[in-house]
Amino acid sequence: MPLNLTLALRNLFHDRLRFVATTIGIVFSVVLVMVQMGLYLGFGRMVTTVIDHTSADLWVMRHGTKCFEDPSLLSHSKQTGAAATAGVAEVTPLVIGFSGWILPSGEITPVFVVGSDLQILKPWNLTEGTVRALSGSGTVAVDRSYFERLGVSGIGSKANIRGLPVSVAAVSEGIRSFTTTPYVFSDLSQARAYIGIPSTMVSYLLVKLRPGADLEHVRHDLQASLPDSEVLTPAEFNERSRSYWLLGTGAGAALFAGAILGIIVGVVIVAQTLYSSTKDHLDEFATLRAMGSSNGYIYSVIIYQAVLNAVIGFAFATLIGFSVVEFTRSGALPVLITPMLVLVMLVLTVVVCIAAALGAIFRVVRIDPVMVFTR
Amino acid sequence: MSEFIVEAKGVTKVLGHGAAQVYALKDISLSLRRGELTVLMGPSGSGKTTLLSVLGCMLTPTSGAVRVCGYATEGADAKVLAKLRKDHVGFVFQSYHLFPTLTAAENIQLALDIRGMHGEDARAKSLDVLKKVGLAHKSTSYPRELSGGEQQRVAIARAIAGDPAFLLADEPTGNLHSAQGEEIMELFKRLNDAGTTIIQVTHSEKNAAYGHRIIQLKDGWVVGSETTAAARPA
Repeated sequence: MPLNLTLALRNLFHDRLRFVATTIGIVFSVVLVMVQMGLYLGFGRMVTTVIDHTSADLWVMRHGTKCFEDPSLLSHSKQTGAAATAGVAEVTPLVIGFSGWILPSGEITPVFVVGSDLQILKPWNLTEGTVRALSGSGTVAVDRSYFERLGVSGIGSKANIRGLPVSVAAVSEGIRSFTTTPYVFSDLSQARAYIGIPSTMVSYLLVKLRPGADLEHVRHDLQASLPDSEVLTPAEFNERSRSYWLLGTGAGAALFAGAILGIIVGVVIVAQTLYSSTKDHLDEFATLRAMGSSNGYIYSVIIYQAVLNAVIGFAFATLIGFSVVEFTRSGALPVLITPMLVLVMLVLTVVVCIAAALGAIFRVVRIDPVMVFTR
Repeated sequence: MSEFIVEAKGVTKVLGHGAAQVYALKDISLSLRRGELTVLMGPSGSGKTTLLSVLGCMLTPTSGAVRVCGYATEGADAKVLAKLRKDHVGFVFQSYHLFPTLTAAENIQLALDIRGMHGEDARAKSLDVLKKVGLAHKSTSYPRELSGGEQQRVAIARAIAGDPAFLLADEPTGNLHSAQGEEIMELFKRLNDAGTTIIQVTHSEKNAAYGHRIIQLKDGWVVGSETTAAARPA
């Protein structure tokens, strides 16, 4: 191990109380930023969960549709024109919309109804019942996590949607909505009735391409033939929905503000403790200067100290972060920590700690080596 | 190669600014020979430490000229001065200034590390110089585990590890009791006999007796320079 790294390591552990205080500060800061960003990612994933589970190649929607939950409607007649476009294999209508679920007790709770052909988009993670069962009259699929809210207990449970009787025919696990409004899946015609959408209208047209068809080419042709509509790839629609909910509503800004607060807390704590640690070791740094050490060598000791602090604090913070992920896994808004987030957080923590070391470095720059004769 | 390792001509050093300005050194000229053990003496505030700082390339003179191992220091920037110190000067301080979190051997290796010597070479060299000061058996001890005299011997080992042209020692026995102080002076004598040039500041007449030359300072002036009985024949 290089001696400057050894010196940094020993200086770090020499004052244990300060080391513990610094580590707690870094852990607090990193956990705060990581959880905020994890919420951001988790929120982003939840926002697009239905889009992600749809196997369409292109989405056709009314021009100006802001997100998946947007109530804008298209004329169903566009399905014929879309299906006639070269390269298109199949066009499936999709309807979505909020409705009222009437519990046996008479209480009404809002639900978000998703209706399609149950092929290109169907409820996933089914633990009870089958998708085929949803073709029966008045049948729906609901998620187990909303049983209490919907006043149901499993397959065969009865309720009403907009006065129409429904029966639970399939149960999923983990299809949660970021709006906390339960998703209810059914076939297209029943969904229209539950939402109140006329048979001449649809929310989206889901397009599957023929094998070998050029996506951009088909998209261009579709767009030309459907002038008041927009044709987006799943990735584009995903991004649009995420941007709307995260940026358009201010939810993302609030999460980012929390993350920035965490970074500021981290910088202040690390800067303060590194500065005071450097002050305590001024004699040693002055001795190094007196012996003719280069500034770079002295800075390396301080920077190693900052990086060691960062890595140790980050390791603890990551463990806590993944505990939070486990804890929120089945909650209303799961925190999502991806390998990329971990990597970005590690780099950010190290950079922030090095930046925090600047104060200590400026202090060392001003050391007069002559002081070793007088102390 | 010049017989003089350090030469100062008409050196004046002004410290502070404005009303707080102090003439710490006034028109000092001296030449120190290779292999000599020179002693700087004088009362507090006489300018000994300032002179040591100027001769040790920590400070540049306000006026006059200083040459260290042939290199002029007047007008040199901090980087150049640091390189001169690293390449030519070994320092021994009254308060030892060892790194408390490093062992005796590591303290010496640190001095070698900044000079670009690392790994096994540095370890071997650190043990070699610890042997020279009689502390090879304490190589893994931390400063807190050593007596004051032992700490100063480690500091001397650190100072000579980089094979400097000369050692500058600022009251090296000032924090030690007399027996330990005598051990340190005997060590300096052995090193000097082996060819190490030493410039030492001391208040002690007993320590001064080890010197070949004693330079007396007062109020920033050189007020006396005498060759002692310890001086080698020219």
